[in-house]
Amino acid sequence: MTVDYVDAGEAIDQGDLSGKHGTAPPVVEGVTYERILEARSEPENWLTYYGAYNGQRFSPLDQINTENVKRIGPAWVFQAGTSGMIAGASTYAFEAAPIVVDGIMFVSGWDGWVWALNAATGNEIWRYKHATPYDVSLCCGNVNRGVAVAKGKVFSVTPNAHLIALDASTGKKVWDRTYGDVRAGESATCAPLIVKNMVIVGSSGGEFGVRGHLDAFDLDSGEHQWRCYMVPKPGEPGSDTWPDGEAWTRGGGNCWLTGTFDPETNLLYWGTGNPAPDFDGEVREGDNLYTDSIVAVDADAGEIRWHYQCTPHDVWDYDSISECILFEHEGRKLLGHFDKNGYFFVVDRTDGELVRITPFVDRIDWGNITRDGKVTPSRYPEKEGEPVHFFPGPAGAKEWTHAAYSPETELFYVPVQDVGATATRRRREFKESIPYWGAGVQVDIDDMTGYVSAFDANGDEKWRWRGELPMCASVLATGGGLVFAGEPTGFYNALDARTGEHLWRFQCGSGHHSSPVTYGVDGRQFIAVPVGWGGWAEGFLPGMLGAGHGSALIVFALPE
Amino acid sequence: MTSAQERSDLMGKLGLNMQNRAAIGRLLNSGNVGEAKEREDGRMTATIRINPDELTWDPQILVMPHGGDIELELINDDLNTHCALLPSNGDRKFIWLVNHSRGRATLNLDGPGCYWYSSPTGNDEGRGLTGAIVVLGDVPPEARLDRPDQPRP
Repeated sequence: MTVDYVDAGEAIDQGDLSGKHGTAPPVVEGVTYERILEARSEPENWLTYYGAYNGQRFSPLDQINTENVKRIGPAWVFQAGTSGMIAGASTYAFEAAPIVVDGIMFVSGWDGWVWALNAATGNEIWRYKHATPYDVSLCCGNVNRGVAVAKGKVFSVTPNAHLIALDASTGKKVWDRTYGDVRAGESATCAPLIVKNMVIVGSSGGEFGVRGHLDAFDLDSGEHQWRCYMVPKPGEPGSDTWPDGEAWTRGGGNCWLTGTFDPETNLLYWGTGNPAPDFDGEVREGDNLYTDSIVAVDADAGEIRWHYQCTPHDVWDYDSISECILFEHEGRKLLGHFDKNGYFFVVDRTDGELVRITPFVDRIDWGNITRDGKVTPSRYPEKEGEPVHFFPGPAGAKEWTHAAYSPETELFYVPVQDVGATATRRRREFKESIPYWGAGVQVDIDDMTGYVSAFDANGDEKWRWRGELPMCASVLATGGGLVFAGEPTGFYNALDARTGEHLWRFQCGSGHHSSPVTYGVDGRQFIAVPVGWGGWAEGFLPGMLGAGHGSALIVFALPE
Repeated sequence: MTSAQERSDLMGKLGLNMQNRAAIGRLLNSGNVGEAKEREDGRMTATIRINPDELTWDPQILVMPHGGDIELELINDDLNTHCALLPSNGDRKFIWLVNHSRGRATLNLDGPGCYWYSSPTGNDEGRGLTGAIVVLGDVPPEARLDRPDQPRP
C-alpha cells in the first residue's frame, strides 16, 4: 500500500520564527552625504563608523557625566546567539560599531549578519543573514566591524567579500557586488564608509598573499567606481620598492579597517596592512610600498596622493590599519595615528609631512624610530629556524581597536597592549588561499600588561589607567567628560577624561573587542556595547584564548 | 593507517558510516555525494532524502555546479520527525519534516565554497543529519585580483 506524503510546504525564513517585528520606520531615507558631513551636529545619532568623518570617536552627549556615571546600568540587552555551523565556529567575535539613526539601530554581527533594532528597547525589527561559506579563508576569526547607512540603505560587507546594500526599512537586499576573490584568500571585515554618492570598502586577506585594495561603488546602483591597489604593479609609482619577480603579486597591504575623510582636502585617509609574507622579508627586499602606510587617496579619482610609511620593510606584522584621527592644532590640519609598531605618528594631513613621532607603549625593542622618522630595525626574524623575541608582538601595541580624541580636553585616548612574541622564520612556497606567514609565531602568555593612556597633540602622556591585561577594545570619549574602555576580563569601565580616575565598571560576562558608541532617544542617553570575545585572540591575548565568547549587545543608561 | 582507496571499506568495517555501531551516531559526511541538475535557465534542482533509521541526508554532500538559485525537494522517509535549516542569502530557510513528508526549499548561494545544512532538533545534527552543499566555480572576473595567475595547492 502506498501512502501519500504529508505536504510539508515551502521552507520559510528562520527569522519568521523569531518574534521580530518586520519593518523599520524610514529613518535612513534622509541620511545624505551632507548630513554625515555634519554628523556631530545631531549627537543623538551615530551616523557613521567613527561617529564623524574625522575618526575621533567622540560624542558631545553629556547627560551621562563624571558625577552620575556611577548610577548607570543595563537598559536592555540584545542576545545575538548563533545556530548551526558557521565559519570560524571557535573564533567569531562581536566587533561591530552600531549605527543609530533617529531611534533605530543597525548593527552587524559575525558571519554576514545584520540586525535592525529599536534603539530604545532593543526589540529586533528585521535581520539579514548572508550565507557564508564554512571554508572561507579568515586569518583572524569570523568578524565584522559594522555597517554604513545612507539614502534608505544599509551597507555591509560579508566574509566572502561581497558588498551588499539592504533596504533599511525591510532588510531586503537591494544590490550585491562581489569585490574580492575567496579562492585567492580574500575576505571582507571592514565597515563601509559613505563619501559623496559612493560606498567605500577595503579588502582583507593580508595573511594569504593577496594584493590589497580599496574600492568605491555607487551607492544607488552598486556600479563600481574605482579600485586603488595598495601594492603597485611594475612600472607604477612605488614599484621600485619591490624586487623583480612575483613578490608584488602577493604583497599584502590590505585595507581591512575603515578610513577617515576630510572634505576640504577631498582625501580619504586609510591605513594599510602588513606586507606578505608577514615575517619573511628576504623574499621581498625593499620598503614594500604601500604596505604599513598611511595613504591619502583622492576620493574622486581613487588615486594615492601621498603616503607615509610607518614600518618600511615590515617583518613583525605591524599593519598600519589603525584609524587616522583628523584634528587641528596650532592652526595646522593634522592626522594622528597610533601604529601597531608602538609609535604615535602625527602628520600634516594636507601633504603627509611628518610632524611628530612618540612611543606610546613602554616596551619597544623591535627597533627604533627617531624623531625625524628614521627607522632602525634591531630584532627581527632573519635566519631560518632561529627564534627571535620582540616587543610589541604582531598584534601590536594597539590592535585594530580604536583610540578616541576629545576636542574638549584636546587629548587622545589610546587602548594599549604591552605584550611580546617570538617569531621563528620558516620559509614556505606561495600557494593561493594557503596562509603565507613565513614564520611560526608564539605570543607571550605571561609578562603582559595593558592600559588606557591619554596623550596630547605633542605626544606628552597626561595620565594612564592600568588594566590587568592588554586593552583590546575601542575607547569612546564623550562630552560628559568620560572615557569608556572595555577589558578582556569583561569589565566595562568609565574613566574621567581629564584625570583618568576610575569612576564606574560593570561585568559584562565576556571580553570586549568591539567599538561601543553612544546615542540618544527621546532625550535619554545610551551607551551601546557589543560584547563578544574572540577573533585573533591567540595573536593579541593568548592567555585569554579559553574565555567565553559571548554574543550580546548591552546598552547602558541612567535610570528612568 | 589507511589509504584513500581503502577508506570506504574501512568505514564500513568499523561502522563509522552507520548509526550506533562505532560511534553513537554516524560520522558526519560519511554519506552519499550527489550533483544538482541544472535547467536551461540556470536554476538548479535536487532531491534530498532522509532514509529510515539512517539519520543522515541522502545525498549528504550536494554539489552545485555554480552559485545561484537551487530548488530542493526534501523528503523524509524516516519514521521520526526531523527538520531542515538550510543556508540561503537573506536568511536561513527552515522547514519541519514530520514522518513521511515532502517539502520544498528555494535557496540562493552566491559563490564558491562549502555551506552546511542540518536538522536542528534534538541532536539530529550530531547524530548525522548535518550535510554540506558545495558550490563550484569562481568569483566574477571583475572581482579577481589584477595579477598573473598564481599557483594553487
